[in-house]
Amino acid sequence: MIAFAALGAWAIWYGLYAHPGEPASFMIWKPTVLYWTLAAIMIIAPLLGWGYPAKIILGTYFALSTREWRWINRGFAAVYSVMGGVNLLVASEASYKDWVGFKYSCMMNLLIIVLFRLNFVWLPILADVSIYLYRRATAAYRYLSNVF
Amino acid sequence: MPSIEHKPEHIVELNWPGRASERVTLNATGKSGGAGEIFSIDSQPGLVAKIYHATTSQANLAHYRCKIQWMVDNRPALPQVPAEYQDIVQLAWPVALILRESRFAGFAMQKIAFDRTLELDYLLNRRQAAEEGFVADYGKLLTISFNLASIIHCLHEKRIAIVDLKPVNVKVFKAELYVSILDCDGFHIAADEFRSDAPQVTPEYLAPEFHGKAVAHPEVQDRFALATIIFRLLNYGIHPFTGVASDHKHYPPELAGRIQQGLYPYGKLVHKRVRKVPASVHETLPDSLRELFDRAFASVGYNRPSAHEWVSALAIYASKDSEQISPCSKGHLRFTGMPCPTCMRDALIQGAEVRRRSFLARVQTAPGRTLQYLKKTLRQTHSSPFQAALAQAQYTFVQLAPAAPISTRNRIALEILWIGGLLITYWWTS
Repeated sequence: MIAFAALGAWAIWYGLYAHPGEPASFMIWKPTVLYWTLAAIMIIAPLLGWGYPAKIILGTYFALSTREWRWINRGFAAVYSVMGGVNLLVASEASYKDWVGFKYSCMMNLLIIVLFRLNFVWLPILADVSIYLYRRATAAYRYLSNVF
Repeated sequence: MPSIEHKPEHIVELNWPGRASERVTLNATGKSGGAGEIFSIDSQPGLVAKIYHATTSQANLAHYRCKIQWMVDNRPALPQVPAEYQDIVQLAWPVALILRESRFAGFAMQKIAFDRTLELDYLLNRRQAAEEGFVADYGKLLTISFNLASIIHCLHEKRIAIVDLKPVNVKVFKAELYVSILDCDGFHIAADEFRSDAPQVTPEYLAPEFHGKAVAHPEVQDRFALATIIFRLLNYGIHPFTGVASDHKHYPPELAGRIQQGLYPYGKLVHKRVRKVPASVHETLPDSLRELFDRAFASVGYNRPSAHEWVSALAIYASKDSEQISPCSKGHLRFTGMPCPTCMRDALIQGAEVRRRSFLARVQTAPGRTLQYLKKTLRQTHSSPFQAALAQAQYTFVQLAPAAPISTRNRIALEILWIGGLLITYWWTS
């Protein structure tokens, strides 16, 4: 949470107020900074007894054992670490155009996580909200029927 | 009775084969075709006249004259008809030339009693045939097929081919089951002393090798068209190239394209690209006929069965004495030893009707059932264990944890934070 607040503040500061913007050379480091920050959080949080951040990313709707969550968390940490390194490698070895392409292709990971979240977290919430609204509407209908 | 005043152009001269001529008066019948108009002849009640349209070019008229003259002089020998059926006209063949002011105008032919006949096309649909007063059964259909093949065999022996052979050009005598072929002046003639082409074709009855080109072998074309007509007669009007695509390759929407690609699904060997239509009863036909159909539709050229082969194959079924056609337990006629095609067709149609009604009933009750399902889901009162399990989404491959002990409001707030994190991630990686 703290890390995301810091990263968010950085984004807002350089996006809205700072002129002439963030340092140009930082551009290629940005994805790496994010990936390695996330990897560090994944590794450090369990050590400090704060639970597994993978649970927050995927959602707690899966009935997995602690051991399974630990391995998922380690997997996320490994993937983020590697992606941060690969970003630097591509930025130094490949052309700028190819690096931009690589960077955007990494967004597929975000999409997969969003789809997971959509299916297992947002839809149950939507179902709950729908049932709540239906009950309210039914109650309102009964009330109005009695009135008229 | 008021006297009829005839126009001068209706007074013509009949030129008989022995070159004897006779002056006659024509009366309009109101029937007209692509090439000419049909008139009745005052003094010849057994004949009708076909007068070519005034727009016909002189060159065409000259060709027609030669052709009709040859036809008048060379009438083909037709299958024998019993003495009591002598008034049956099997071929609307020209019997005399018609001259108007000494110039060729048309020809006279024997009159077909249309009130006793119906178009062969009507027999392809049993209901339509019944409305015309003809109750079709397999015995009658086989006899009609036999009679048609016999006439075509006689024509082929004289090196005459029909080319544009199709059901609408064939009339069937309802009681006697003999057939009449119309539009004889359009036939192809390949005699030693005279030759005339027949450019008119119908794609649905045209052999695959002649699509997009001239009919080089008219008799081969007749063999294909004859087999197509017999197949349709014996299979409830289903065209041999009507089918259901069984792969994802392009399936031509029109019959002509399917004929060209040889997409014949009713063979004894299964076609890879096309399946039979469910209503087909071709499996109730005997092997002798199915082999002829396979040769007609799965081979080319003179490999196709000739009209004579059809005559030989159909003769035993057209004859009552052979007992190759016998009644089924319900009284329908069927090929002896084979399943009854009528019963099979009734079962197929009835099955389809039951499925159609069931589908319609389901569609009509779908909104009510959906509402009921939703209500049961919301009230958690599903009576069926399967539906209850489905409603609670208890899938075996993903075990979901019980609902978190936090309120929906807090869960939504948490998700908003999560989306914020996602946006920050997006900004940092883009």
